[in-house]
Amino acid sequence: MINSILLVDDEDLFHLVFEDACSILDITLSLEALNSSDEADKKFKQWFPDDPNHERPECVFVDLNIIGSSFDGIELIRKINSDYGNGCVIGIISSSDDNKEIEKAKAAGAQFWLVKSDDIEPRLEQFRNDYDGYLDKSNPFKVYK
Amino acid sequence: MDVNKICRDELLKLANEKRIYLEGNILKVISANDGDSEFIEYLNICKNRDKDSRIKRLSVTKQVQKQNKELVAKQKETDSLMIELQNALDSAQKAEEEANKLREVAEKSKDKALEDLDLIQKKSQFKLIGTIVRVALFVILGVGILTTVMYAFAIVTDKETQIIGSTWSNMFGILLTNAFSIVGTIMGVKYASDKE
Repeated sequence: MINSILLVDDEDLFHLVFEDACSILDITLSLEALNSSDEADKKFKQWFPDDPNHERPECVFVDLNIIGSSFDGIELIRKINSDYGNGCVIGIISSSDDNKEIEKAKAAGAQFWLVKSDDIEPRLEQFRNDYDGYLDKSNPFKVYK
Repeated sequence: MDVNKICRDELLKLANEKRIYLEGNILKVISANDGDSEFIEYLNICKNRDKDSRIKRLSVTKQVQKQNKELVAKQKETDSLMIELQNALDSAQKAEEEANKLREVAEKSKDKALEDLDLIQKKSQFKLIGTIVRVALFVILGVGILTTVMYAFAIVTDKETQIIGSTWSNMFGILLTNAFSIVGTIMGVKYASDKE
């Protein structure tokens, strides 16, 4: 089970879907959901330079296009990886499966790409099974379609 | 997480008497003592109820999410149609403006054509008047010349000049009087013709 998950997604309804799916699949006990990449950036900024030992989420799911944010999910991943110490499993969760964007996310340091759809549970289950590999960085980048 | 006997009993009492059960992720960290089949069963019921309610909520949330997406898609479609409609309206307005401009040009052309027609008619009238005046001048001059010749012939042949003399005098007077009027009319016609 993943200790804690941070979800960054502008869609409130998806927060509920994700939370229920994670609970049903026993993926995590602690889930925090944020609506914008700016909020996430602010939190990581607080944790990293001022308090690097602060307990940060073990895994971060970032939406690709976060409406109402100054920058998109790929930029947030880049910031978390390069500016805030790369201390968590991080990837994109998006309804898009555009190869160009997937390659950009991979280049920014995303470890996975999970495609959002009505039937998200099987993909989350697969992700949960692969999770240990992401934690010890032994798994290659993977797209869950 | 272990639960002490007081809490355990209270939880079981709540479930038995009021059908109130624990729910949420707390259930995943609470454990029952080995052999406490009653509390193990209670936790299983709680977990199953929690799972069922989450499945139900997930299903409803997904449905709402789907409906929202459809609504957003329809809204986009409506917006797109509105934009198309607005463009069509703009095009119609532009076409109307163009038509108005063309109508103005056509009206101006029509006015000009009418003016030209009027001018041509006037020109023809002036030409006709000119011809009439010239013919009248030739007639007057002819009569004058004829009368002068007759008068001269009468003088030369020593004939009676009483009548022809007064006739010539009258004719010459009329000729001089009218000649200026005729010449003036000719000049006027000529001036008008040249100007047009």
